[in-house]
Amino acid sequence: MRKKFMAVLLSVCIVSVFCAGCGQKEEAPAAENVAVEAETDQEAKADQETETGEGTQEIAMVIDHGGSIDDKSFNQGTWEGIKAYADANGKAYQYYQSMEDSDEEYLNSFELAINAGAKIIIGPSYMFETAIYKAQDMYPDVYFMIIDGRPQAGDDATYTTADNTYSVIYAEEQAGFLAGYAAVKDGYRKLGFLGGMAVPAVVRFGYGFVQGADYAAAELGLSAGEVEISYAYTGNFDATPDNQNKAASWYQAGTEVIFACGGAVGQSVFAAAEANNGKAIGVDVDQSGDSDTVITSSVKQLEVTVKAALEDYYAGNFPGGVDATLGVESDGVGLVMDNARFENFTQDDYDAIYAAMKENTDGILDGILKDADAESADQLPVTYVSVKVME
Amino acid sequence: MKIRGFFEKESTLSVLGSVCAVISGLLISFIILLFSDSSNALAGFGSILLGGFNGGLKGIGNVIFQAIPIIMTGLAVALAFRTGVFNIGTAGQFIMGAFTAVFIGVKWTFLPAGIHWIAALLGGFIAGAVWAFVPAVLHAHFQVNAVVSAIMMNYVGMYTANYLITNTVYNAAKNQSKAVAATAVAPKAGMNVLFPGSSLNAGIIVVILVVIILQVLISKTVFGYEIKACGMNRQASLYAGISAKKRLVQSFMFSGGLAGLGGALAYLAGDGKCISVVDVLAGDGFTGIAVALLGLNSPVGALLAGLLISYLEVGGFYTQVYKYPVEIIDITIAVIVYFGAFAVLVKGMIRKLLQRKGGKE
Amino acid sequence: MEYAVQLKQITKRFPGVIANDCVDLSVKKGEIHALLGENGAGKSTLMSILFGLYQADAGEIWINEKKVQIKNPGDANRLGIGMVHQHFMLIHNFTVLENIILGVETVSKGFLKMDAARERVQALSKQYGLNVDIEAYVEDISVGMQQRVEILKMLYKDNDILIFDEPTAVLTPQEIQDLMKILKKLAAEGKSIILITHKLNEIKEAADRCSVLRRGRYIGTVDVAEASREELSEMMVGHKIELHLEKNEAHPAGCALEVKDLVVKSRFSNKNLLDHVSFQAREGEITCIAGIEGNGQSELAYAIAGLLPVSGGQIILDGEDVTDKSVRYRNLKGLAHIPEDRQRYGLVLPFNLGENMVLKQYFMPDFQKHGFLRHSEIQKYTEQKIEEFDIRAGRGTQTTAGSMSGGNQQKAIIAREIGLDRKVLIAVQPTRGIDVGAAEYIHKQLLAQRDAGKAVLLISLELDEVMDISDRILVMYEGEIVGDLQPEKITVQELGLYMAGSKRGNTR
Repeated sequence: MRKKFMAVLLSVCIVSVFCAGCGQKEEAPAAENVAVEAETDQEAKADQETETGEGTQEIAMVIDHGGSIDDKSFNQGTWEGIKAYADANGKAYQYYQSMEDSDEEYLNSFELAINAGAKIIIGPSYMFETAIYKAQDMYPDVYFMIIDGRPQAGDDATYTTADNTYSVIYAEEQAGFLAGYAAVKDGYRKLGFLGGMAVPAVVRFGYGFVQGADYAAAELGLSAGEVEISYAYTGNFDATPDNQNKAASWYQAGTEVIFACGGAVGQSVFAAAEANNGKAIGVDVDQSGDSDTVITSSVKQLEVTVKAALEDYYAGNFPGGVDATLGVESDGVGLVMDNARFENFTQDDYDAIYAAMKENTDGILDGILKDADAESADQLPVTYVSVKVME
Repeated sequence: MKIRGFFEKESTLSVLGSVCAVISGLLISFIILLFSDSSNALAGFGSILLGGFNGGLKGIGNVIFQAIPIIMTGLAVALAFRTGVFNIGTAGQFIMGAFTAVFIGVKWTFLPAGIHWIAALLGGFIAGAVWAFVPAVLHAHFQVNAVVSAIMMNYVGMYTANYLITNTVYNAAKNQSKAVAATAVAPKAGMNVLFPGSSLNAGIIVVILVVIILQVLISKTVFGYEIKACGMNRQASLYAGISAKKRLVQSFMFSGGLAGLGGALAYLAGDGKCISVVDVLAGDGFTGIAVALLGLNSPVGALLAGLLISYLEVGGFYTQVYKYPVEIIDITIAVIVYFGAFAVLVKGMIRKLLQRKGGKE
Repeated sequence: MEYAVQLKQITKRFPGVIANDCVDLSVKKGEIHALLGENGAGKSTLMSILFGLYQADAGEIWINEKKVQIKNPGDANRLGIGMVHQHFMLIHNFTVLENIILGVETVSKGFLKMDAARERVQALSKQYGLNVDIEAYVEDISVGMQQRVEILKMLYKDNDILIFDEPTAVLTPQEIQDLMKILKKLAAEGKSIILITHKLNEIKEAADRCSVLRRGRYIGTVDVAEASREELSEMMVGHKIELHLEKNEAHPAGCALEVKDLVVKSRFSNKNLLDHVSFQAREGEITCIAGIEGNGQSELAYAIAGLLPVSGGQIILDGEDVTDKSVRYRNLKGLAHIPEDRQRYGLVLPFNLGENMVLKQYFMPDFQKHGFLRHSEIQKYTEQKIEEFDIRAGRGTQTTAGSMSGGNQQKAIIAREIGLDRKVLIAVQPTRGIDVGAAEYIHKQLLAQRDAGKAVLLISLELDEVMDISDRILVMYEGEIVGDLQPEKITVQELGLYMAGSKRGNTR
């Protein structure tokens, strides 16, 4: 027993010896560099990076333990927004992955970012709600931005967005509405909505989708029940054979287009669409590149939002204390039209409905119900659409 | 001659093997740092070596805190190894333990403060043990390879936990389990004074207790004697009249219980630590295998190996300042484990070297 | 004088041991040269060096008066060196002929040319009186015949230095006789033969000269005709030993173990490994089960010990039917068991000597209290046994069993089993792979147990052992008991006929 103990002990000792050697060299600059002022021109930044590579990464993004920077979704969208702004304006930026998913660890990540010179920290997930709630008071000189969440004390009841924090959520129901509208306008009559888990954001997408389809059917003067929507949540956010089978069975039963709304569930739906000659609608970011079956994507303009927030911050008017819900009014949500594969639905059609929603013509925008407004999708007050909720 | 004797001793060679493994892992991580961005390689490497010390006392506290679950799963794997079974099912046992602990933590609020946490821990232990029961019985009585059935139980565990969470203690808004009641959160037990600012809690006391219990169990008790005999020579244990099947099931369940306890400790830490409902196997379960390998399957070894791995992970976290992704640490740990497995080879090489030298004398 | 093989100052080291330390060996052309030594004396290592399986760390090899390098068995073959290993290297579903030409096939346009080969093999077989049916499949012929196939393989390759590694271990007495004749014939035809063995009878019978190795060192070479067995064994062991045991008369008492109609079925075929075996073992008597390896003796021991499920019959231990009882129950009821495979069954090799010594007693109050082992008691008990049975272990009770020599491992098992003080002692091949000195000691212990009134059931493949120490011999052939004999009343040759299945006596 003892020899094994010794084995590990010795290895630990060796490591600590290494540490003692390197420690002295490294500790000094770390402290110093926090104080180093940001330099705005490109050259200075390059110098900084080659010399120390730390201390001036004033734009920081934090990602959760399980996430990755190239997730083709929230993290990536946010990161690209940061990159677009920072590269154009010569700012250094960096992302920090947390060691695990807990508030304490997120706070550690913030601390690390701040020690490395972060002035503004962006957390692109509701997971950071409580950590940012605490951090906004702990670091009053640092600015925070949370996307898809509101800072709260961890009890889902006490919400406070301090003056150094900007909180953004998106009006998913509006994005969903546009998708449903465009699908019916393009000529589809048998629609499907396959959500991930029934979390509020996904539900809002789904409800909007149903209502948008109904709105288009009314416009086209279709008869009641002429548009059918199969509606379900998979209960996960993954690409699984199960999800693919479900989508495939819908296509085989005549569904023409499925709005795939749940992270990697989309991959399952796309695969099923390819095998069954069906169509699909993507979500969150432009997914037209993932499959030729994707006719459009119902997106949140993360890149735009992040870039705008950074511009505001550097212009000296950071929207601190604001709880924003970004919808069509601020171009926060929309459909992908550049890479769209519609047959009848044109850019003009899109512009028209977008403008109508922006101006709330006939109360169209206010009329869209959200997640809390109906028990389930088939309880929504629609006339032209018949919704079939599958288990 | 004395020095040669020292080097020829099995124990010394084991130590050297482990040390070589750690050094090789670090060297390779340095090479990767050099290749990906040479300008920061030294600084980044320094930060890896500095590990938990990057964050001072708080950092060390966090190293220990992060090590808690992986030490437990490491102990689980090590114990099972002793009976000659590879418990690769720690991920499933871990998550079932975690769920049960969280369930008790959320629902059984009628329990008084001191008891609630302990009840939740016990629940986690039992759930892990129950989860190990299936592969254990299949292995002992029906000659079903424990590796295969345990891997399958990992997936069953993952989906079962997800199902149970969504139906009992679900926070739909965040797609994760609800936060446990304050009475079920691990007490700090003065750890916040020792390591100010860190997340460390009384969980480490539980871990140390378990290490001591296991060490005593394995080396001092009849039960330990029997499971060692089963693990080292099944035939001889049968010959000695030991009911090997029974011992195998018992120790496998005990091993599963330890993994479950690890899950419980991990998710009763408070601080917004909740079980995410995702279709991903619990990584801490698999890290346990590395911990056990590196710790040479001894309880104290697992404790130290868990601390080492956690130390490196914290170092990797700080290395992000130099724009290196945290995955560098995963590579480092993987290399260490690989070389740990090659320790036998290293031992042989050292022996040969000594012999050649000896021949010339 | 012409030498076929000369090994000069060969040294070979393995981690921790020197297997050969400046060993010399000279084999004349046309002689049968015995290489004698105990297990672990370095005989096999030396021959492996000659055959190219190992490289010597130092020393020279001369073949036919020329210095050569032998880097692999291919080199050895080209120099005319052939070897018959203890375990034959034959392909079972090939015919004898196919096995013989394997690797040296004569081919024409991609097709095998069997006819020329067949003629040559037949001629060789005739020339040396081997009488092998060359069209038979190897799996259908006896072990003795298979050995002749190995010999033919060497002859076919024109080898004239032939190494035999313990060739008689697997043979019946009749087959041994035949082999000796063949060896002599080969030598007479000019082949040089090296015979590795530790059986003095064979050396006396066949060999011209004999070289002795002891613990890796070369002791000397003698003319067999001029050396007595006692001298040879003294050279081998290093001290005088008694070749014949003084044995008192047995005083058999009541029946301690009875086996009735015991049947064990094979897992792989519907053959019975034990076919209605019945016998009694009495107190104060050594009952010996003799037979050629693989005729059900191992199964019998495992079935009695409870390690192998039986499909019929009864095992009655000290008057109680224990057929369905656990291993531990039988152990406690009165069974001690020296198992056939000491490393697989008898010892937990990574455990230390103390832990192994209490393998069947650790749960008794003497050695545990409230579930905790009493290490000091275990140590005391083990030290006592080390003393009593003269077990040589480098670090005393703490010595890892795996690091002990075979003989000492066996002594440890015997100390443990005798220490149990049970009514019945089953000893399966207790002296296999053990040097003569240790074997003599073990035999004395078995006799002492008998005289102490225990029922000893000895299962052995060694004819000398069977004849020397048993009071009664049961011969097993293909799962049945075919003979119940008195050692004083039969000859080795007769016993051999029973073992080969060609004779059956009255059995109870």
